[in-house]
Amino acid sequence: MMRRRRVVRWAGGLVAGMAVAGVFAGGASGPAGAQVASDRVGAIVVFPKIVVDTQALTTRGRSDTLVRIANVSNEAISIKCFYVNANGHCSNAPTRVCTPGAPAGPDNPCGPGAICIPGWQEADFTVNITAGQPVAWLASEGAVACEEVVGTDLPCFPLGGTAPGSPNNNGGSRVPPVSEDPFVGQLKCLAVDRNDVPVERNALKGDAEIIRSDEGLIDVLAYNAIGIPAIAGTNDRDNVLVLGGEAAEYGACPNVLIMDHFFDGARDPVSGLEVTSDLTLVPCTEDFLTQAPVTTTVQFLVYNEFEQRFSTSRPVTCFQEFRISTIDTASPDRSIFSAAVAGTLTGQTRMRGVATDDVGIGHTLLGVAEEFRVGGGGAAFNLHFHGTRPQSDYIYLP
Amino acid sequence: MRPGMLVPVVVLGFAMAAYGDVTTERSSSILVFPRVLSDATGVQTRAPVDTVIQISNTSNSMVFAHCYYVNASPADPSRPPSVFNPPQWQEVDFDIRLTKQQPTHWVVSQGRRDDASDRACTRTYRECNGAGFDPGMIPPVPDPFVGELKCIEVDATGAPINGNHLKGEATLVTPDGDVSKYNAVGILGLNTATNSNDGDTFLCLGNAPADVCPGGAEYNACPQTLVLNGFAEGASDPVVEAFGNGPSAVFTELSLVPCSQDYENQAPASVVVQFKIINEFEELFSASTTVTCWSSFRLSQVARVFEEGFVGSRFVQTQMRAATPEYAGVIGVAEEFHVQAGLAPGETVVGRAALNLLVDGERPNGDVIRLIEVFQ
Repeated sequence: MMRRRRVVRWAGGLVAGMAVAGVFAGGASGPAGAQVASDRVGAIVVFPKIVVDTQALTTRGRSDTLVRIANVSNEAISIKCFYVNANGHCSNAPTRVCTPGAPAGPDNPCGPGAICIPGWQEADFTVNITAGQPVAWLASEGAVACEEVVGTDLPCFPLGGTAPGSPNNNGGSRVPPVSEDPFVGQLKCLAVDRNDVPVERNALKGDAEIIRSDEGLIDVLAYNAIGIPAIAGTNDRDNVLVLGGEAAEYGACPNVLIMDHFFDGARDPVSGLEVTSDLTLVPCTEDFLTQAPVTTTVQFLVYNEFEQRFSTSRPVTCFQEFRISTIDTASPDRSIFSAAVAGTLTGQTRMRGVATDDVGIGHTLLGVAEEFRVGGGGAAFNLHFHGTRPQSDYIYLP
Repeated sequence: MRPGMLVPVVVLGFAMAAYGDVTTERSSSILVFPRVLSDATGVQTRAPVDTVIQISNTSNSMVFAHCYYVNASPADPSRPPSVFNPPQWQEVDFDIRLTKQQPTHWVVSQGRRDDASDRACTRTYRECNGAGFDPGMIPPVPDPFVGELKCIEVDATGAPINGNHLKGEATLVTPDGDVSKYNAVGILGLNTATNSNDGDTFLCLGNAPADVCPGGAEYNACPQTLVLNGFAEGASDPVVEAFGNGPSAVFTELSLVPCSQDYENQAPASVVVQFKIINEFEELFSASTTVTCWSSFRLSQVARVFEEGFVGSRFVQTQMRAATPEYAGVIGVAEEFHVQAGLAPGETVVGRAALNLLVDGERPNGDVIRLIEVFQ
């Protein structure tokens, strides 16, 4: 069924916003045909995976995520950020966190007879960043002005001040801690003006470090945030951000994601340890206004080193993380992502969100991959992108 | 200690401009792996490490590539590099071929033999490192090896083409299984439909000199600016500290290679790289160093401005570019080392993570990669 989305314009913000747009129009450097990229600045930065587990309640271990964002321009910038809490919760204990689809155990402690109900809850906040300034925070703790956390070693905003909105300080910035611990989800930040109106400023760079630390153990997984560039002169300053397509205000999301990976269960040829990979996918289209999660069917094409092709598909709703050998089956050693089935150590997987007739929703995806050595460490890495598609994706802001 | 100096930041003028054209996430015609390490004893890399290279053909056609290792380990690899122990800058090259959509891999210390009898992986046989279509005869690197790998897409005759069919990753692995991974830096060929590449031994990146590039650019230009968002040197890791596992410290090692290279004459290019550092208080600092052929260094080896005790904040943004347009462009990758206390008194453990650098702008002067004549 065709669905039309309601477009809500910020009353009063439009005229003021247009004036500000004139000031900053020269700062937008997105060329025609701009595309999302994790190695370039953007007006929107997407962190597909944020993880917190300070009590080691899940199989990931005691971990936290360090979020770093830098303003690479010579003018102050404000960002509006949205956490999406993708925790599941047990049907028999709504406050107990679980991972939907996970086998019974630390990731799914619901017990017999109960199910893990997926959830997607958004929370947003604002940060004011001065010219060229790098800022950072721990997802578990958030961040406030440094004068509020004297005596701690937590990242904070050093340029306090009592006048929110001043371009010379971080006044008005307050990052909340993620809403639960353990937590898994995503973070999306976009450049806005002082009225929270989106602006065409490709000045943001971000990266995240998922850090696992325990006695005598440290493991760091780092990836670059994915930047979505604004296209100069196209932003109508409403609360519907159009990504790609004919009416694009921002660069298009990729048509296909490509991941080079070890097949699960492969033996690392250097350490001899078994390799597993996790994949996290989030849709480009997101509706923070009505909190309606987007479901996209993802087609996976998997090639081994013999040029043999396998394929499978899986629906992804709002946020999905999975060990690759559980994408197509609950028996990992029978998966097409298993080294025992694929027959070679490494493979190439191409992922495509299947488009539908619903013009209000794009079905492209973004993501990040993690690679683990069982008994060793891990590494995160960015996926490759290929092409764009004529359909737009949309971000609906509250 | 590398040559480093402080210069007034006001003269630098690092204005962020239009997009650069190298990429770490799109299929390209030239792949650069700026940080390839293989050191069984850790004599050059502080700890034993090896590198797994992964390259894929993202097209539905057969793809060929010619690859170059550049070994920048010192002449006497048992001692650190110095004026009296200069880097070798020794090049070794080889060919690879990939069938449609084929991924391949090799461990740089082992190379990969062209051996059709390699057994495939099964549920009971996991020592299957060579399984799959072998991409060619890939030589092992000497031990120790520190340097770069560059692969250039060519046609069946060996002439460079603008196919944009290659993607790659490098995984740095320690014997105990700690890993860091980065995407190869890709340089896009121009006009892939018409293949504007003249197929000669001069690869013209961006607005290269007309005497060697009469037909203009064959590949996109190298970036004007590289951006690294990271820790000040020696700053503590806030997660480790919050979990009570300190004391901790974070160090960053940066590997840079000039975009211009002359494999024919084995003449290493030198670039003076300017660093602009911005701390969390929006205060600016600067430094510079010289990169010849390949260089890898801790940021604190360039200048004290990278140290937390000097720069005054835990996090810094660092922008890098060639000092003047006459120098070659540079591309690179960073690797962070997070150090915390180990289980035994005085012992430390290290976690490593590689990060691709953000690129911005396009160099006004192009770069040239000159290949060896036998390649033609």
